Amino acid sequence: MLSKEIIGSVCVLRIDREAKRNALTPAILASIRQTLDNAMSARAIVLSGVGDTFCSGFDLSACRDDERVLPELLLALQAACQAMRQHPAPLVVSAHGAAIAGGCALVAAADFAYTTHDARIGYPAVRLGISPAVSAPLLRLAVGDGHARERLIDPGVIDGREALRLGLVAESLPSTSRCEARAIETARALAEYPPHAIAYTKRWLNRIDGSDNHDTASAAVEASLSVAGSDEQRAMLALALSPRTQP
Amino acid sequence: MNHLTRLTSNGPIGTLTLNRPEARNALSIDLLGSLHDRADEIARRDDLRVLILTGEGKSFCAGMDLKAVLGDDKTAITLLTMLADLCVKIRSLPLAVLGRVNGAAIGGGCGLVCICDLAITHADSKMGFPEVGMGVCPAVVAPWLIRRVGAGKARRILLMGGLMTGQQAFDTGIVTGLVPGADDLDDAVAQTAERLASGGAQALQATKNHLNNLDGSLDRDQARQGAELSARVLALPESRARLQAALAGR
Repeated sequence: MLSKEIIGSVCVLRIDREAKRNALTPAILASIRQTLDNAMSARAIVLSGVGDTFCSGFDLSACRDDERVLPELLLALQAACQAMRQHPAPLVVSAHGAAIAGGCALVAAADFAYTTHDARIGYPAVRLGISPAVSAPLLRLAVGDGHARERLIDPGVIDGREALRLGLVAESLPSTSRCEARAIETARALAEYPPHAIAYTKRWLNRIDGSDNHDTASAAVEASLSVAGSDEQRAMLALALSPRTQP
Repeated sequence: MNHLTRLTSNGPIGTLTLNRPEARNALSIDLLGSLHDRADEIARRDDLRVLILTGEGKSFCAGMDLKAVLGDDKTAITLLTMLADLCVKIRSLPLAVLGRVNGAAIGGGCGLVCICDLAITHADSKMGFPEVGMGVCPAVVAPWLIRRVGAGKARRILLMGGLMTGQQAFDTGIVTGLVPGADDLDDAVAQTAERLASGGAQALQATKNHLNNLDGSLDRDQARQGAELSARVLALPESRARLQAALAGR
């Protein structure tokens, strides 16, 4: 469910679950974390998704079928995002097509992100009674407090050009293929730099910008966990997934 | 060593000029020492409300004196600590600081732009932080860039390294004002300085002090830790090799 390709000294990971629009399971998130932990010698990492959708968020039917899945997903998402931040090499995300909720959290955890003009980006999760608070600490670092607040409170989604305007991505591109190619191109350029300078700089940035603040990170995941499994959340999720309301 | 900087004033507007044009105003120990003296002098004066920070000649400031840095580790930590302290010192001045970025502002030079409250450049100036490409960790300038453009953009700018044009520096928010050409700079700077001087001195001081407290500008420990980290990375053999190659390639 996570494919890995080595291009020179760049490690390209792709969420590989196209039939489910790369919806995240605890196993996929754990695999992102483990793969990163085992790829310490890579000079740059690309995280992408197979097909036209980078990531459509959590696997909601799995959440509905088993109540234990949502809390697992929240904790695994947090761990995957931290692994992206803590990796010594720069992390580049190709967020083509869609980066919804947990997918958007992965974008916020990146050092560089690219997207497509037609992408759908944001946190509609609150419509399902799920709180995206887990994503707040890194999102506010990526785009500032004002934009982060709007995106986490408003369940609407934005497109690639708007994500560029907010500063969430470095560039918005016209197609999936160009988006991933651009992410790989950036990763290859970064891989040429002296790895120690990149690693020290990234670690220093993590320290001074608050990425390393464990209290903030725990409070964020606790906020999301506090409403996971509530009556409201179960009712809203069941309604959203019922055949009657399926598009 | 006071010929290395120049302080002039016209009513409430002072101008502090880096005056080492033959070395593109690169930050040597002597130049940094002179800037410290000038900043202390400005802090003692009560007639100034605006400070224009600029460079003599074609460059604003080419950054750390890299040849001196390669000389020995002691010089590197001295230079970096002096720069870190200078940034906090200038930031603490109770006046509005306006950068007149007349040309290249590289590395530590671009860091000096970031500590200004406002900064104006022209479309063709060269700015940026090429440190990582040279094996150097831009730890001293990092907190100032974060305060200037936010953590997300600062991360991309520092990790990607390289240089940008004045236009790009304006688009990312490193400078707050842009004019088309170098010849247009003086009018824009004069106009902005006069506008800044029109406010109440105490109101300006209270506002600036509050902002400095809010965004951590006065965190001298963090500034010093940045200098130590940067010096430690510079002392690594892989950094020295990269830096020597970069200097030879110039």
